[in-house]
Amino acid sequence: MNANAIAPAVPARPARRLPPELNIFLVLIGICIVFEILGWVFQGQSFLGNTQRLSIMILQVSVIGVIAIGVTQVIISGGIDLSSGSVVGATAMVAMSVGQIATDRAVYPHLTDLPAIVPIMVGLLIGLGCGAVNGALVAYTRIPPFIATLGMMVTARGFAKWYTKGQPISFPTDGFAAIGQGLNPVWIFLLVAAIMHVVLRYTRYGKYTYAIGANPQAARVTGINVERHIVKIYAVAGLLAGLAGIMVAARGLTAQAGMGAMYELDAIAMAVIGGVSLTGGRGSILGTMIGMIIFGVIISGFTFLRLDAYYQEMIKGAIIVAAVIADMHRQRKRIKKS
Amino acid sequence: MRKTLITVALGSSLMASAVSAETIGVSMAVFDDNFLTVLRNGMIDHAATLDGVELQVEDAQNDVGKQLSQVQNFIAGGVDAIIVNPVDTDATVAISQAASNAGIPLVYVNRQPVNVDELPENQAFVASDEKESGTLQTQEVCRLLKEKGTTEASIVVIMGELSNQAARMRTQDIKDVIATPECSFMTIVEEQTANWSRTQGADLMTNWLSAGVSFDAVISNNDEMAIGAIQSLKSSGLSMDDVIVAGIDGTQDALASMAAGDLDLSVFQNASGQGHGAVDAALSLSRGEKVENRVYVPFELVTPENLAKYQALN
Repeated sequence: MNANAIAPAVPARPARRLPPELNIFLVLIGICIVFEILGWVFQGQSFLGNTQRLSIMILQVSVIGVIAIGVTQVIISGGIDLSSGSVVGATAMVAMSVGQIATDRAVYPHLTDLPAIVPIMVGLLIGLGCGAVNGALVAYTRIPPFIATLGMMVTARGFAKWYTKGQPISFPTDGFAAIGQGLNPVWIFLLVAAIMHVVLRYTRYGKYTYAIGANPQAARVTGINVERHIVKIYAVAGLLAGLAGIMVAARGLTAQAGMGAMYELDAIAMAVIGGVSLTGGRGSILGTMIGMIIFGVIISGFTFLRLDAYYQEMIKGAIIVAAVIADMHRQRKRIKKS
Repeated sequence: MRKTLITVALGSSLMASAVSAETIGVSMAVFDDNFLTVLRNGMIDHAATLDGVELQVEDAQNDVGKQLSQVQNFIAGGVDAIIVNPVDTDATVAISQAASNAGIPLVYVNRQPVNVDELPENQAFVASDEKESGTLQTQEVCRLLKEKGTTEASIVVIMGELSNQAARMRTQDIKDVIATPECSFMTIVEEQTANWSRTQGADLMTNWLSAGVSFDAVISNNDEMAIGAIQSLKSSGLSMDDVIVAGIDGTQDALASMAAGDLDLSVFQNASGQGHGAVDAALSLSRGEKVENRVYVPFELVTPENLAKYQALN
């Protein structure tokens, strides 16, 4: 490793080179074609030629997709975030508790029918707070990110359970519920993805993130305040997990302490499928988006093919690993050639 | 691995509380489950009305090893009786042995232990007969379809977690009812899991609709998934009058959905009644009284007609 590694990683590439996301995009196309063919053979209808199916493919993964965007930049910086699923649970509970209509089951009977901005801001702040704590632990105590965020994972889940002693919170106001209705989660996801794409690719924040992931020592030498930037990275990831918590509560019209369980692993899997390197320094929002769509396509495809429920998870696991192998293989071939 | 880490992280540091008049140690499979929370609160509320009865409630966090440690800690702490809501119904032999070696009465609640027929004298099982729930549910769907004059009915089944006994039983109940001559006009066209979750139920339904599956009734292993299915059906612009949706549990959200005319029926499992029954059984056993090997709290069918009665509960 040398200081060259921190040269602005993505934008500086010569334009004529194919984008690294192309590989995984081809895997996605391949999976779609397989489902399309199987669809005609076994179901006598098109898999992709159905707008409702196309929208559910994205809708069902857009909440985890928002988390995956946040996790992507954490992984690019060389870290990991295991707490996002639990942060979803915690923010869903707290946001919903100030987003209820007046019923006799309201958590705060005097805080009902508030405008939607209140639960949204409360949820985002809690997410941001959890993320900032993660970041501070990683940056200043030097404990491994795996452990710091594992601590948050356990604590935030415990908080979510304690908050109402395990009782679910339901009956949101129409304004709050609107966030999760129809295709709104998809639009929110696309907006977040677009912003983070620009931020990672074209701003100083993004360049620092890639630099720290590629070589933290070199990054420090070039004058980057590594600690402060790491706090920011985890805080943004927490903020997005908080947003996901708001979305999942609004979508289900309920908040439950167990919400978001295992989301962190799906989010990490989406990023890794999308070519984000777990060793840091490499990856992109675009890649993660493709990884996320692969998840959505697989879930819808299985139901479409009426695959027995008992086989689905086994095959899903195999596809995840196979997709990454295919991607790595093509990457390596390309590096050899160049 | 995650579970193991949690266990390691939190440890099983259980303090033996000062033994008062009568202490009952309770190990719940998991705290953050709606139904089990109502059950747990049923126990706590009932114990609060009894003089000199103290409950010590622990969360086993879905970890078999943790649950066994909790039971051993209860024994070490000298409780008068133990109530266990098993994490894994196949892992109860060790729990029964530990309690019976110590001579402490044990009551299993809600989930049927694998050794239910070999339980010693001072152990009992309090629950609802799972066989009833899916049967009541499917028979009512069958009756409603007949009432509509349907002669050939397609059914979609939304299953709970595939490894869960209740999910398997309830799904089997559906098939058993359909196998009877009165209800043989019903056919299952789709059968998938949504892991007890509302959002997954909604996603599954949308996936079905987009695959062009058509059906007359939705039978779901629980209310949450049924509500999710309803959300999808409505956002696809389908009229809730044309399709029968059936859940199980009778949760408050389900009752609200029924009041809105969306959910057609549910089956109420009296969680609080089970908690109540478990505490009573534990106390009787600790006082040396005889208790039936199985104490069943009946399931109850919830329809728009008797809805009001259940809205007042919980």
